[in-house]
Amino acid sequence: MFQNYIQVAFRNILANKLYSAINIIGLAIGLTACVLIMLFVRDELSFDRFWAKSDAIYRLHTTFNVPGRQPFITSSAQGPARQALLNYFPQEIEQATRFAQFQPVVEYQDKVFYERVHWADREAVEIFDLTVVEGDIQAAMQDNSSIAINQSFAHKYFGDRPALGEVVSMTTFDLVRDYKVAAIFEDLPHNTVLDFQALTVIDESDFTSQPAVFTEWFSLNNWLFFTLRDGASITTIDSQLPAFADASIIVPGAFQEGTTASDFVTYSTMKLQDLQLNAPGGREMKPTGDTQTVTIFSAIAALVLLIACINFTNLATAKSTQRAREVALRKVLGARRQQLVQQFIGESVVVALLALFLAVVLVELLLPSYGAFLGRDLSFDYSGGFGLGLLAGLVLVVGIVGGLYPAVLLSGFRPARVLKANRSAESAGSIRLRAGLVILQFTISIALIIATGVVFGQMVFAAKRYPGFNKDNLIVVRNVSRQGVVEKQVALKEEILRLPGVVSAAYADDVPATSNESNSSVTIPGNPGLGDILIGRQIVDHDYFSTYEIPLITGRDYDRDYSGDGIPDFEGARPGEVLQGTLVVNQAALPRLGFASAKDAVGKRVQIQTGSPGSEPAFAQLEIIGVAANAHFRSLRSVVRPEMYYLLEGNFRNLTIRYTGNPAELVEQIESVWREHAPNVPFTFSFAEQDMARLYAQEHSLATMLGTFASLAILVACMGLYGLAAFTAERRTREIGIRKVMGARVMDIVRLLVWQFSKPVLLANLIAWPLAAWGMLNWLQAFPYRLDEWVLVPLCLIAGLIALAIAWFTVGGNAAKVARANPIKALRYE
Amino acid sequence: MLKLHNLSKVYQTDEVETVALDNVNIEIESGEFVAIMGPSGCGKSTLLNIVGMLDSPSSGDYIFMDENVAGYPESKLSNIRKQNIGFIFQSFNLIDELTVEENIELALLYHNIPASERRERVARVMDKVGIAHRAKHMPSQLSGGQQQRVAVARAVVGDQAMILADEPTGNLDSAHGQEVMEMLQSLNAEGTTIVMVTHSPAHADYARRTINLFDGHVVTENLRAAV
Repeated sequence: MFQNYIQVAFRNILANKLYSAINIIGLAIGLTACVLIMLFVRDELSFDRFWAKSDAIYRLHTTFNVPGRQPFITSSAQGPARQALLNYFPQEIEQATRFAQFQPVVEYQDKVFYERVHWADREAVEIFDLTVVEGDIQAAMQDNSSIAINQSFAHKYFGDRPALGEVVSMTTFDLVRDYKVAAIFEDLPHNTVLDFQALTVIDESDFTSQPAVFTEWFSLNNWLFFTLRDGASITTIDSQLPAFADASIIVPGAFQEGTTASDFVTYSTMKLQDLQLNAPGGREMKPTGDTQTVTIFSAIAALVLLIACINFTNLATAKSTQRAREVALRKVLGARRQQLVQQFIGESVVVALLALFLAVVLVELLLPSYGAFLGRDLSFDYSGGFGLGLLAGLVLVVGIVGGLYPAVLLSGFRPARVLKANRSAESAGSIRLRAGLVILQFTISIALIIATGVVFGQMVFAAKRYPGFNKDNLIVVRNVSRQGVVEKQVALKEEILRLPGVVSAAYADDVPATSNESNSSVTIPGNPGLGDILIGRQIVDHDYFSTYEIPLITGRDYDRDYSGDGIPDFEGARPGEVLQGTLVVNQAALPRLGFASAKDAVGKRVQIQTGSPGSEPAFAQLEIIGVAANAHFRSLRSVVRPEMYYLLEGNFRNLTIRYTGNPAELVEQIESVWREHAPNVPFTFSFAEQDMARLYAQEHSLATMLGTFASLAILVACMGLYGLAAFTAERRTREIGIRKVMGARVMDIVRLLVWQFSKPVLLANLIAWPLAAWGMLNWLQAFPYRLDEWVLVPLCLIAGLIALAIAWFTVGGNAAKVARANPIKALRYE
Repeated sequence: MLKLHNLSKVYQTDEVETVALDNVNIEIESGEFVAIMGPSGCGKSTLLNIVGMLDSPSSGDYIFMDENVAGYPESKLSNIRKQNIGFIFQSFNLIDELTVEENIELALLYHNIPASERRERVARVMDKVGIAHRAKHMPSQLSGGQQQRVAVARAVVGDQAMILADEPTGNLDSAHGQEVMEMLQSLNAEGTTIVMVTHSPAHADYARRTINLFDGHVVTENLRAAV
């Protein structure tokens, strides 16, 4: 019997080539999309599960609650927090380690590079069980002149020669030291949020010149991981974090009386395994994923597969009348309904299996480019439990979902009626169901088109929106604060300005697309009611506004003719002394500083102070001389920051150069000037425009993915529509013949058929528009600067027209062919 | 009304050439009632299809109302056909999804006739064939005789000058068959030209002239006095 089923199944597949092709190819596309997306989702869910102590590792996150602005949410912790945490939770926490990431200049023989190197506490290698290839990593982390490196790093510097015991020289801030390679570990796999190539131990005494890194309570420069003791509960720690903050943090004098640390600082913890998808969004060693993307993509995979399954159901029920005789005969010969259901579901599983073979081929073909697009090395393990389980599960689900209804419908035919009439009239119910399913397919497709349009539109909007400065033709030269350059800044800029094609150049501490944030606490002498105001600051030179082309709304720019411009020199100021200076702020700062308008602000004073906590500070009153237009240095996901621009020599980190003409040539010239002045510091640069574009990489890949899968959804839906149209035309041949005899022209017939299939697409539009609009308006809420909501109106119309046009195109060709056929045959033989 | 002159029809498949009509010469006057008889495969239906402009001859002339339509393209034939010719088939060929009323109306639908006039004419013709009480029914709810009456109504609703009937009684019992024949006869009495293919000598007797076909040739033509 089973053999008979299989035989009939294959004969049916071969006999109905068009339908079989539509089913198999459609399902294969759906399955391919599903497998590819599942691979991505599975990879996202696999992050950081391979560590021996994976279940016990947590990270501490810090949020600064600054009055008058959104909370500053980070994934980091302060340098002193580690020891404080160990002291406060001796019963719960076993070990803790910080990771601080710097970019020292690494030298080995003739090789000089900037490298990302991580400083960690020695427990780091006990919490995270790295696979050590050579050397003793525990010993490496005992000695502040040893370094542990991964295999890629070793290969880069030492090639195939043994790396162990070799010595590299590193310059980190003002720390110049030789490090002996004491251990080599395997490169970290991609599915961890950790990303380091070289580790060395934190010795706080090495960084006394950089108190912000390891000793200040109001700087965040470390990731802080800890492990729970056996039996300890994370909820115990979580509930005591406010008390921990109050007990540990020394609140500087600048903050008001009567406030406690927990008013400003909120701690939270997150399990290591959850970081990839749920990290709060601060700085990470490498970009993390997010649950939204995983959810969206999982949903899309399910939708594309659903569309393919619907094709299957639709075509199978549409063809059912043709198999009515077989069903009737089997029943006459004694088949029970249950056996027939089994037979038909079996057939759909066979089709699903064929589709699966095709899908596996497609997956293998697409994996390399898909992996490259996602930036990770994905592979499908056919022998593994997950792979086989996924494939078997998909085939069964597709076979049963697609085949169940047709099986029930077919097996329900009454043999007497079918055999007598020699054909079975289809029930109105099954025709309605098909129409309903086609509506569902097109609803999904149209909604996906709209979503793609909105995501793409928002991306273009963000990328094209004028950021408040001219981001074109700007070269940013980095690392000017390094030893070896810092003392030559003046000469460097002068010489670069002399190069042909250079329009202007400006030093600053921040650059476009930065994620850095520096804040200062200020008061307004004329408005004591405002209290202490924490507000962003950037350090600039005289040419900053002219180089970036940030217009001043009112007042004047910093001017070399005014010797009193900028932040006064606090060197030698007596405690309590009030110095004078000038300041430019941006528009966004005005409300924060309590000014009604730009005009109102000019001439007013802002007071800053200096000095360490405990000692009496010195003050500076800065007269606001100008208000600059808002310049957006970050992605449009964040609002423009209130900003003070300090004119302050000696704290620059970058040199921005505005140029005309060919940048390639100019970069070479700038590099040779750099080499002349600082031969031992590698030259690094970027174009501001590209840096800014990179901010939207996430939207870009989301739009690409959506666009791809929306096209697939439409393609599969249209294949189904084509099949249905072909079938309907076949079923209506007689009717078409009659109409032609009655005088209908080819156009009349085509219109008739096309209209029949336009109705579900039009209805699908009516359902898809509000759904997609609602979803996309919600999505847009995450962007403070976003597309006008009315854009959805044309987008919906365009999506509808696209779907309709494709449907027409799909149905029309076939309809024309049918309409042109000679009517006699159809009418003569029934 | 129409004249076939040396008309031939050859069907060609990959290897076989079948001559369905061979140099047929027939003339039919306006207002005639002609029966075409002959054994299966003699070319009756081919002849009817060519006369009805559903098919084109391979050679020869077909003069329809003083126009040689033999070489006309499909669209032109379609226009002449819908103005002048009504069809009745053995298997009725009603559209299952349309009501009786709508099936009849179909013949007017492609004529640019306003809806109100269409309704009027459909109602009139339904009265004439005695099917008005079934106007809202579906074809599947009717008996064979009733279905054929609907088909007759559809064939004449457009005031066609000629009706081509392809074995109109073939699927009917004798009582219903006779009913349909009487209806055709009364239409003929009102001036409609009728050309009918039939197997039944009894039904051929309703016609005034019988053309016998054999192997694509006209064998005999019998003229009969009016019944």
